[in-house]
Amino acid sequence: MASATIETTGLTRSYGDICALKPIDLQVPEGEWLSVMGHSGSGKSTLMNLVGGLDRPSGGTLKVGGEDLLALSEDGLARFRREYVGIIFQQHHLVPYLSAVENVMMAQYFHSVPDEAEAKLALERVGLGHRLKNRPGELSGGEQQRVCIARAIINSPKLLLGDEPTGNLDHKSTLMVMDLLKELRAEERFTVVLVTHNEEVASWGDRTIYLDDGVLVRDERLGD
Amino acid sequence: MPTLKLIPHLLSYAGIVLVLLRAFAGRRLLVAVASLIGFVAGIAAAVLLFRFCPGEPGFGLVRDVVGGGFLLFWGVAVTAVYRSTGHDLPMTWWDDLLARPAAGAAAALAASLVAGAVCACRLSSGDSLITYLLLILAAALLVLGAHALERQLPAAFAVAPAGLMAVVVALLVFSSASIIRLDLFSPLTMKVMKFAHDFVHQFFESMLIPDHLFIRTNLWGYIGLLFGKEIGFWGALVILLVPVFLVLLSINFEPLPQVAHIRQGAQRRRLLAEAIGSRRRRLVIPGLSLVILAAAVYRSLYPSVEYWDPKPVAVTATPAGEIFIPKKGEIDLEDGKLHKYLYKAGGKEARFFIVMTPAGKLSVDLDACAICKPDGYGQAEGTVICYYCKTLIPMETVGKPGGCNPVPVPFTVRNDGVHLDAMTIINTWGSTVQATARVKEAGK
Repeated sequence: MASATIETTGLTRSYGDICALKPIDLQVPEGEWLSVMGHSGSGKSTLMNLVGGLDRPSGGTLKVGGEDLLALSEDGLARFRREYVGIIFQQHHLVPYLSAVENVMMAQYFHSVPDEAEAKLALERVGLGHRLKNRPGELSGGEQQRVCIARAIINSPKLLLGDEPTGNLDHKSTLMVMDLLKELRAEERFTVVLVTHNEEVASWGDRTIYLDDGVLVRDERLGD
Repeated sequence: MPTLKLIPHLLSYAGIVLVLLRAFAGRRLLVAVASLIGFVAGIAAAVLLFRFCPGEPGFGLVRDVVGGGFLLFWGVAVTAVYRSTGHDLPMTWWDDLLARPAAGAAAALAASLVAGAVCACRLSSGDSLITYLLLILAAALLVLGAHALERQLPAAFAVAPAGLMAVVVALLVFSSASIIRLDLFSPLTMKVMKFAHDFVHQFFESMLIPDHLFIRTNLWGYIGLLFGKEIGFWGALVILLVPVFLVLLSINFEPLPQVAHIRQGAQRRRLLAEAIGSRRRRLVIPGLSLVILAAAVYRSLYPSVEYWDPKPVAVTATPAGEIFIPKKGEIDLEDGKLHKYLYKAGGKEARFFIVMTPAGKLSVDLDACAICKPDGYGQAEGTVICYYCKTLIPMETVGKPGGCNPVPVPFTVRNDGVHLDAMTIINTWGSTVQATARVKEAGK
């Protein structure tokens, strides 16, 4: 059995009096594709932010890739995000005045040093070899999301997080993006945690957990 | 107040110990002990030196040792930049030597020895044994402080061998620049100025180019730039700073690791980024050396000592053309201080001074030299200083002609005072000094 990439015990997150995430015990083995489902405000994004080192928990333990995220300093957490995690957002968060290749190179810059040839290859890999110099405003939603995927995988992360990556896309683009993610995961063997509302998107994973009001209410494996 | 005047020297020493501890981080205790032993030995050596060679010879020796260290640094800098360009030098013996455990201790001993000697030069023979003991105690505390501070410094604060040499030499130069008789920059300025001056004259003579016939006045203006003190200043600055720039270049030229064989782009880039980052961090120390050397130049240009610079006293000649200055009049000529006089006759004037040399003899000299614009001389800490080029002339050599020394004037001493020939004074001033002044101001 593969070692757990994500391991939490009693993980909680509160914002003042509001408890966004009630104690959660979760193990995600290396290479697994986990879909996280739930209604708005159920704590999906909170869980993803904690796992990605974007936020700090209020209690419990949280280990990702063997690293105890609670013990890391701000610098350590930044290094963890830089070297271990790739994130795809629903809103893309691409820099509007940079071209597609420059957006990917920016991720390289914050990781180590930029390498234009490698960034171009990454965009070719996601099928955007002909759109290298186009800015985000000149790309369709699906194309922008593919730039995001290229940006997320350029630093060879061990963990790929997606926060509603297909939320803004039509069905055709959704299928294209999911197909691409599946293909890349098969090649790179990273672990995927994907937050979604969409049952169809969730079904692409190996396992789906359901959150309701910050509580893990169901944990299903594909085919169960 | 001996404590205050020792602060720049003690800070320099602390800086030396700190970088040595970081450069030889595996042998901290050995380096710390060697640093303290070296410092104490340096003080003892300087005390003995000044007991047997008081005055200029003692200062000269310490200055030469610091200057020798600087020349060695030039050699290290040139070698470093040569090796960084991929050229191989059969220097494995040197690398082996640096890798030996005793290398750190030897470097600490040598650098601290010089630092201790420079520090002791600041103390005078009148300072008591307690002052020396307090100095050693302060040094011991600084070593302990540096030892503690070094452990707090981030691991990224790396010191390359050439960078270590740069900062140690820069701190020693800064320390010595705080003592006007040990200052390296002023004599360097003078030597560059004299070289440019002599070179231009020799060139014109060897080319048989007469002074005025074929060369336009405005062209002389440009040639005249070579005679000014600016050429000395900028030339000396280049000599002082270039080796540090060479060290910076050598670090910058270091080849990056071979990564073409690494398949994963992120890993390849991370290795490159680490190498580039390490290279950048190793630039910090030589960069700091530039700042320290700039501070040394500032100390040299604006020393903290106050010069004795009396207003010239007007004198007249007897009908027989003799100027008489009594030994013990309103002014005591034998008090060891420089005394200036002004003689005017027939629309001409000349400034001169009388001073008692350490040998106990009076010396009469023009208040100008044969090279510089006649801005005159001041006196401080056993030297006279040329106000134009800031060159220090040891009191022992006042009365001897040549270079930037004040031009000596013939005189006689009889029982009651100094007797001078007024015509000789005016003529000497006119033939040498006024010509120099015209050259400087007219740009020729």
